[in-house]
Amino acid sequence: MDFLGFVIICVKVLVVFSATMLTVLMMVYAERRVSAFMQGRLGPNRVGPQGLLQPIADGIKFLMKEDIIPAEVNKPIYLLAPAMLLIPALMTFAVIPFGSTITLFGREVPLQVADLNVGILYILALTSIGVYGLVLAGWASNSKYSLIGGLRSSAQLISYELAMGLSVVSVILLAGSLKLNVIVEDQQGYLLSWNVFKQPVAFLIFLVAVYAETNRLPFDLTEAEQELVGGYHTEYSSMKFAMFFTAEYANMVTAAALTVTLFFGGWDVPLLNETSMGALGAILSVLSFILKTAFFLFLFIWVRWTFPRFRYDQLMKLGWKVMLPLALINIFVTGGYLTLTSLR
Amino acid sequence: MPIVKIDDTDFTVEKGTSVLQAALANDIEIPHYCYHPALEIVGSCRMCLVKVEGMPKLQVSCNTFVGDVPSDKKIDGKYDMVVSTQDELVQQEQKNMLEFLLLNHPLDCPVCDQAGECDLQDYAFKYGNAHSRFEEDKRVRPNEYLGSQIVINHNRCILCSRCVRFTREISGSSELFVEARGYNSKISVLEEKPLDNLLAGNVADICPVGALLSTDYIHKNRIWNLDKQPSICQDCSVGCNVDVFHQKDQILRLTPRENHSVNKFFMCDKGRYGFHRFEEIERLTVPMIMSEGGFIETTWDEAIEKTVDELNGAGKGIAGIASPFHTNEANFMLGRLVNGNVGTLPPITSEEINYPSGFRISGDRSPNRHGMNDVCPSIVDDFASAVERKDIRFLYLLDDGIDRELNELWKGMLEKIDFVVVQSYAMTDVSKCADIVLPGQAPFEREGTITNDMGRVQWLRPSVTTKGESRPDWEIPMLIQSKHAGVEGLTDVSSVMNEMGKDFAAYSDITFFRLGDQGLPLNGKAEE
Amino acid sequence: MATIVKSYEPTFWDRLYLPALAKGLAVTLKHFFRKKITIQYPDEKYVPPDGYRGLHRLNKYPDGKIRCVACEMCSAACPADCIHIIPGPSPWEDGKERFPVRFDIDLLRCIFCGFCEMACPEEAIELTEIYDFSNYTRDDLLIDKEGLLGVYELTKDTNYYSRPNAGQDSEALTSDKF
Repeated sequence: MDFLGFVIICVKVLVVFSATMLTVLMMVYAERRVSAFMQGRLGPNRVGPQGLLQPIADGIKFLMKEDIIPAEVNKPIYLLAPAMLLIPALMTFAVIPFGSTITLFGREVPLQVADLNVGILYILALTSIGVYGLVLAGWASNSKYSLIGGLRSSAQLISYELAMGLSVVSVILLAGSLKLNVIVEDQQGYLLSWNVFKQPVAFLIFLVAVYAETNRLPFDLTEAEQELVGGYHTEYSSMKFAMFFTAEYANMVTAAALTVTLFFGGWDVPLLNETSMGALGAILSVLSFILKTAFFLFLFIWVRWTFPRFRYDQLMKLGWKVMLPLALINIFVTGGYLTLTSLR
Repeated sequence: MPIVKIDDTDFTVEKGTSVLQAALANDIEIPHYCYHPALEIVGSCRMCLVKVEGMPKLQVSCNTFVGDVPSDKKIDGKYDMVVSTQDELVQQEQKNMLEFLLLNHPLDCPVCDQAGECDLQDYAFKYGNAHSRFEEDKRVRPNEYLGSQIVINHNRCILCSRCVRFTREISGSSELFVEARGYNSKISVLEEKPLDNLLAGNVADICPVGALLSTDYIHKNRIWNLDKQPSICQDCSVGCNVDVFHQKDQILRLTPRENHSVNKFFMCDKGRYGFHRFEEIERLTVPMIMSEGGFIETTWDEAIEKTVDELNGAGKGIAGIASPFHTNEANFMLGRLVNGNVGTLPPITSEEINYPSGFRISGDRSPNRHGMNDVCPSIVDDFASAVERKDIRFLYLLDDGIDRELNELWKGMLEKIDFVVVQSYAMTDVSKCADIVLPGQAPFEREGTITNDMGRVQWLRPSVTTKGESRPDWEIPMLIQSKHAGVEGLTDVSSVMNEMGKDFAAYSDITFFRLGDQGLPLNGKAEE
Repeated sequence: MATIVKSYEPTFWDRLYLPALAKGLAVTLKHFFRKKITIQYPDEKYVPPDGYRGLHRLNKYPDGKIRCVACEMCSAACPADCIHIIPGPSPWEDGKERFPVRFDIDLLRCIFCGFCEMACPEEAIELTEIYDFSNYTRDDLLIDKEGLLGVYELTKDTNYYSRPNAGQDSEALTSDKF
């Protein structure tokens, strides 16, 4: 790899990282504003114009707060856990293509940090690693609430990872590749070529599983305040708590981006051939990606303030008795269809 | 003895008892205004009407007496009289009488100081109509001063004439009379003879409504805010029974309490307004030691230690001054401390006043001289020469707390004695002569027994809490003595009474429980 | 006699739950675009309705005499025991003969039940609509007679919050005003 290529990669990493963090900040603000709007309130509107600087104020507050480390915690793991959750959450975004290709300095530069051959496996692997952060935080805190939160999250993530992975399999079957770029290109063209129309069942299963994976309502049993005080992060304060917070929102951003990539044509604008339109096409593709992701982020909040929390047994029942068989049937049907069409 | 039946219940009463007395004695309520047990019966208020079987009209129960009826004329072959207080006619008449009384009575209970202990208010609520049919303007008259301490509000007066009868029968001075007749009648005094006798304050107490008011209490507080504590007046040796009304450790007024063996129903104005004396005294609340130039505040432990040191140093040369103002218990503990070597300060006296009704204001202003003499039998009359004779080096002085000028003899004597301990509640002239001052209790803070000049032991109850670090009067000599002798001290005033009973047979079976609120007579046992 | 109530049998469509979920989302979305009920408090102030039980006041007669006769009915009725009155003779010759020398209300104890105004025979004590009288010290929340009369002057003519400059002076009613 030459020097310029290295610089371009570095710039892309920086852009993606800062964009994710910025989105996380915006999400914290949006969460409060949207929830307020849905409840007939106004939400934070004092810090900056329309309260836009509220997340900054929140950040400063987190930094200034006293950092409490309870006496009986397992200190190394207690300190490590937030990082173990945050880093995989941020790393996942590396393989997601957020735009078409642009030409810079006479080079074709794909708008994606790393185009891995096993892109989807990479994502599934990293989300699984994130569970360690949760479980270790719950265990190291030496608090019953944290422990129950951690246990719940591990059980929940394992249950729903299966359904999520299997629902993605059908998409992979269609695209014939694990590369996310190929999956996006496969959906190019007109609107109905998006996977959501080809694989509606897989999409629903994936969407539900994603909510469970990100610990969002209606599946936020790991941090159910009413039962567990705070869940796995009960004993965390100040910036360490903020890291958990950031990780949760970063996970949401990645999940939304992934949903868009897998089912909504990624950066695709229907009926346009972005690759052939040069710089304008690239800009349009990025905009399209951002808009679609923003919608799914909004959906996260929307769902949170609409549906109540599942009971633990209901959660398990849904995961194992509904989602898993449904995903398997979906693969079977997809595979059967593909076999039949290829035989002909 | 005649049997009277009041509302389905039989009572056997003395011949000649009035129906009202019989009912009141048995907790049957018959509303009444003009009747007062100490005063002549007039039957003018018509409030105590009852139905008596065999009599055509309703009868005033205060002036209807139960007598023996020949056996053949007894009602139902058993009763001498059958009375109904709940008859429909009686209830209607009570309503009518109250409507009459309220014709001109203003509805100014919020402003009236009697509200809360007002018979008219209570009865109107209990027996009266809720509304008046009187549509005319009410009669309005200005307030007048009847004497220097008594104001009359003519609008509220219901002309029961209790006050008029009081001045005629109890004080014997006859200042009050009912002026004019009918609609114009009102309670009045002659200009040259105002209501200024020493019993005048009682007319405010016996007034069943808020017409007669003592200027001392007017517009001061509301009766339901005050706590009421039975106590004994400590302004002369009669020992009138009183109720102390106080709020937040501040005494607001004294009223007489019924005790037929002592003061019956009344008290004099000297005692009634006497509590104001204690409001402006220079109160002692911490022990103080005299050093060059003046008193220095100290702690109790230090003060008692120093006193005991001096007591040890003085050997046999110790003496005490008992006080007729203090309780028997305090004087008894003092007598023990100084081995009975006791004298007393010169007495404070004034003129004795006797009223035709038998009410008496004693010339001896101290409340407990009888008791002091009982528990300190060896009191030396000429104390000054006794001091000379015995070489007294340590004197424990129980101060009266009365501001008095000491004569030269006493002053010289106090100066000559090496160490003078004064136990007092005020910075009097006597306290100023002390080497060490120990703060005791003020009169209404004390608990114990006092014996009046007729030899009746009465329970003096504390009405207000002790100020600052002051300690009970019996406790201070007890602490010193127990430290001096190295024995365990007594814990409460009852155990002091117990000890006292062992030493003095007359007081042997006296307990607070037996004293109650009426006291016990010694029947001359102490003198034997 | 027992009646058999047939429970609702969910159809396949119901059991899928997706329409119900969509309906739920529609409800929250509808609220998202509704008019918001939030009042921007220090900038705009809520105007309480008549009969609101806020800060107390002591009424006066038109000629300026205090209506209160210090009968202490309010302090007797007060369940929180927060009214302290010291009565005395009235300074006015022609008025009522009683008068409050001191009239203190401990606003920290007061529960704003309104028993005092119900008990008052002279219609002297009243609860006003003023609700924002918080303060920085406990002492500033002990309101005396002058303060209560000051509140009367503030509220006698119009609703305190509908005066022309209401909301512009955003600072709360300070203790020296009442």
